[in-house]
Amino acid sequence: MNWTGKDMDTYLQQKEYIDTLVVPLVKVETKMDNMKTSASSTEFVMHLASLIETQFKGRMMFAPPFSYTPATDHQQMAQSTLQEFSAATFKHVFFLTTDHIWTSMELPGQVIWMPSIPLENMDASLRQSILEDQLRQVLPKFTEQWAK
Amino acid sequence: MSSKVSRRQFLSYTLMGVGGFMVSATVMPMVRFAVDPVLQPKGEGELVPTQQKADELTETPVRVDFTIKDRKDGWYKSDVSNTAWVYKEGDTVIALSPVCKHLGCTVNWEGDEKHKNEFFCPCHNGRYEKNGKNIPGSPPLGPLDEYVVEVVDGYVHLGKTVPNTLV
Ligand code: FES
Repeated sequence: MNWTGKDMDTYLQQKEYIDTLVVPLVKVETKMDNMKTSASSTEFVMHLASLIETQFKGRMMFAPPFSYTPATDHQQMAQSTLQEFSAATFKHVFFLTTDHIWTSMELPGQVIWMPSIPLENMDASLRQSILEDQLRQVLPKFTEQWAK
Repeated sequence: MSSKVSRRQFLSYTLMGVGGFMVSATVMPMVRFAVDPVLQPKGEGELVPTQQKADELTETPVRVDFTIKDRKDGWYKSDVSNTAWVYKEGDTVIALSPVCKHLGCTVNWEGDEKHKNEFFCPCHNGRYEKNGKNIPGSPPLGPLDEYVVEVVDGYVHLGKTVPNTLV
């Protein structure tokens, strides 16, 4: 499910089935040297999120991506903004990111960190197969939590 | 919705004119997306070629990916990747939609070791027989949709989804 009015209607009727929230975390940098990396990683995370969403539409709700800049105090973001998601609404919460810093933070859910792969020069079918490879790797992290 | 009517009028007027041709080249892809279901006669639709050769199909469903070009949806997508589970029943090619009839996850053929010869939905353990029939006791309440299939020059072409006719 996506964070749209229509999907939310479905969610509200099917709460007991849609028990997982996924929150993408993306770093937005405007320093010349890092801008390209930032854009490319964001593209990767959003593509991956959209692929996971198609596969698991009926069980996962995807929040809009949470963006921050290099100046962000991650510790504080983890303890305030993101802490909101520990509320009982969703049984499972995942954070999807390519930014390594989150792996060392206390977050109210599982952090799924992926190395970013630049997709911009790939043709559609290569991109699809790369993303599916990545999906296969993150899959166990979801199913493990669901099985608990 | 009055916008539908005016859009159609707009189309027919502009298409009549010479300039309409040029307008249609730029506007058509967008307008077609919105108007298509209205203008399309039932049972037909644009068929999209796939890489799958019809004579390589067996009775075991295989995953066939295909892409619908130029569909604007979301921020990053211009093409939509689609998937079908395709197999042969005698001489007929059957293509089922992988979209679970419960809440829309993607189902897999033999996706669960405990249930051979079935489609399995990992989200809430939904189960379907090979013809797409939902197995009572699992969450889905209806059978998997079918794709309109045609074999053109030996290759499987897929169209839109229609309600299951096999169950
Ligand atoms: S979405 Fe397939 S069983 Fe619930």
